[in-house]
Amino acid sequence: MKEFMLFIKSEESPKADLSPEQLQQHIEKVGSYIKGLMEEGRMKSAQPLEMEGRILSYKDGKIIDGPYNETKEIISGYYHLLAKDLDEAIEITKQDPRFEEGIWRIEVRPIKKVEGIN
Amino acid sequence: MNSDDTHTSRQLTEHFFRNEYGKIVSVITRYIGTNNVETAEDIVQETLLKAVDHWQQHGIPENPQAWLYTTAKNRTLNILKRKKYQTQYESQYKQKNTHAELEDLQISEELISDEQLKMMFVCCYPSISENSQIALMLKILCGFSIAEIASAFFTSTETINKRLVRGRKQLREANISFETSATAIDNLGIVLKTIYLLFNEGYSPSQQNKVIRYDLCLEAIRLAEILANNKTVKEKTEVYALLALMYLNAARFEARVEDGTLVEMHQQNRQKWNASLINTGIHYLNQTTKSDVVSIYQILATISGHHCIATSFEATNWAEILSLYDSLLVLQDTPLVRLNRSIPLAKVKGNQASIQELKVLENASDIGNHYLFHATLAEFYIQEKQSELARRHLQEGISLSINKRDVELLEKKLKKLVPIQ
Repeated sequence: MKEFMLFIKSEESPKADLSPEQLQQHIEKVGSYIKGLMEEGRMKSAQPLEMEGRILSYKDGKIIDGPYNETKEIISGYYHLLAKDLDEAIEITKQDPRFEEGIWRIEVRPIKKVEGIN
Repeated sequence: MNSDDTHTSRQLTEHFFRNEYGKIVSVITRYIGTNNVETAEDIVQETLLKAVDHWQQHGIPENPQAWLYTTAKNRTLNILKRKKYQTQYESQYKQKNTHAELEDLQISEELISDEQLKMMFVCCYPSISENSQIALMLKILCGFSIAEIASAFFTSTETINKRLVRGRKQLREANISFETSATAIDNLGIVLKTIYLLFNEGYSPSQQNKVIRYDLCLEAIRLAEILANNKTVKEKTEVYALLALMYLNAARFEARVEDGTLVEMHQQNRQKWNASLINTGIHYLNQTTKSDVVSIYQILATISGHHCIATSFEATNWAEILSLYDSLLVLQDTPLVRLNRSIPLAKVKGNQASIQELKVLENASDIGNHYLFHATLAEFYIQEKQSELARRHLQEGISLSINKRDVELLEKKLKKLVPIQ
């Protein structure tokens, strides 16, 4: 099993356009998707991220604020999961029910294995 | 997220978010005033979004309702700290201890019911137009989104938005206090009427948006149940009567449309009528007999009840229904009631008697501009085998119909009249 990081990206919060009824359906669908992955032992961790935050850069010998992203897209959450290979990780990602409503993008990245560190 | 027991298989009850939305908005409005009902709605929307973020990852908490109230309460306290609401609030209520009061807020079913009740009276404030009253009720108390209301009413989101904006403006102008609901109980009649209109919006038969339209009926029933269960409302006979009427009508919801077309009552499959809704309706109807008050809802409910308990269309107690319509005429003598009365009249005294009645009615009122008048008259002529007159009134009815569904039904009847060559 290899480890993968899934970065969930969106422009602002697509959820904000959903009605209370749809929000409830969203919780139930995504919730049981995540629960399913946990029961299979594939999900190591998953967290939503707050919409606020800062970007710091190291420039000319000091740490500065920014530069800020030019697009409105931000990472709104992440999954840390286990899969056989990248293809399987992508298959798991595709089943995420959040794709059914709203504009989400998920970046799937294998976690680099370094001997003696991981 | 480390242990599996954070992820138990707890589930939310049906429409939990939608129902809680209306409850929490009502409770919060008590603290920030009816002027700021939109702020209350924003707070609750944010609370629900927060719940989505937390619950989808960590599972649904043991007491989801308490979780929502705590989150919404904290958010409200933050907003009250901001001066601009503070001043607005204080000028409206001249109270300083709101903060402490809100912090100590203990949520109980009784409190929620009281606040929802007040909100109902606020939404139905007499100076607000009927359209806006219904839209406000659906948005604020029932947690429907603008898109959902638009879809239920077959109209655009812009139209609904306009009604809401107008309604909220009228709310602000009326500067209604959220405290004095006891005196507002005088407006119970308006609240009941709005609930009944809401029900009828959902009840008008249509294949389109069937699920959401049935939900409108259920919401109307839910709101009336709040009135029925609340201690502030002392005289409940009319509330029970309206509940009886809505349950008895809702029981026949499923049977009215088949394969996208309207099914008239004499052709409905009575097996599809919902027995448990009928029983609840009859239960409420019995409650109304404990007082001497006779209401329009009670008579309509009794008529509906007679239909519900009849084993077949032919076995319906038409004589009793006719006498109920006669009582209804005493309370509400309108051409539409007289038109509806012509149906049991025909069953009891024959089609010709009804045809005569309708001819008199046509001369005495503008009912002739209504498609239903011609559709009803045509049906009597069909049964009397007076095809030429039937055809003429069917065509008249078709030309006056606004609804495509009604046109289809009349055209079908018209086709049957044309002799096969």
